[in-house]
Amino acid sequence: MTKVPELKPTRGDALVAAAVLLLAAVCALRFWTPMAADAGAPEVVVAVGGEEVERLPLRGAERRYTNNGYTVHVVVTDSGVRVADADCPTRDCVRTGAISRAGQSIVCLPARITVTLVGGGGGGYDAVAG
Amino acid sequence: MTTERLTRCAVLAALALAFSYLESMFPLPLPLPGVKLGLANIVTVFALYALGAAEAAAILLVRVLLGAMFAGNATALLYSLLGGFSALLAMLLLRRCAPLSVYGVSVGGAAAHNCGQIGAALLLLGSAAPLAYLPALLLVSLFTGALTGFIAALLFRAMANTNLMKP
Repeated sequence: MTKVPELKPTRGDALVAAAVLLLAAVCALRFWTPMAADAGAPEVVVAVGGEEVERLPLRGAERRYTNNGYTVHVVVTDSGVRVADADCPTRDCVRTGAISRAGQSIVCLPARITVTLVGGGGGGYDAVAG
Repeated sequence: MTTERLTRCAVLAALALAFSYLESMFPLPLPLPGVKLGLANIVTVFALYALGAAEAAAILLVRVLLGAMFAGNATALLYSLLGGFSALLAMLLLRRCAPLSVYGVSVGGAAAHNCGQIGAALLLLGSAAPLAYLPALLLVSLFTGALTGFIAALLFRAMANTNLMKP
């Protein structure tokens, strides 16, 4: 007996791929559907280190948040919100671009800051957190 | 553990570290946190079959600890630890429980790696927001897992007749 595994794709592999796809679809349905989209004016919820620090209406505004040694520059417009600049090494939050639908969020892992759009009227965010 | 076995582990740990360092220099052009090819996972897959579970775990631990030390990033350590060991655990189970090829094991490992990293993000951020990235990360892991599986298959083919792969 050798320790070399099967090297050609098998039917079991297809099952694994299908399971991964299914998991992705379930998560997508759960977290990408707009939550309480018509419950009121959408709001931007900024959380730093897991705690909500500010709620902003979708109206022109700029904020800077500093945590964990990193600063992110958040720009809110009438149509959405984006992270315009960040001094973290990966800048994934900047590359995420603008978000405009309730339920979407921008995450900055190094600074532990999340920017989430909720459908307003409260509740939307709690619905995400389940 | 014989000196020979220890040396093999050390060489593979160094290789894994080099892979993860190489990867960090060429991030994939996708706006997703934590997305990467997972080249270091090829080493884990190889070690799992060629050396065994304990050796694969030791190699993984050395790679993750040294990687965090070189990057000087303690926060990244939790992501790498949870991601890496989720992947190892998933691949151990998949290898045992199902008639899978190295492709299926690799894809399962890549998907588990992403789940582990999102888990770490949930812990660190204390919010459910990172879960929104999981679907996209899982889709990407299908491709990256298949690619690293393909490379691992090439590797096993090349190594099949060497001493390393004899029982």
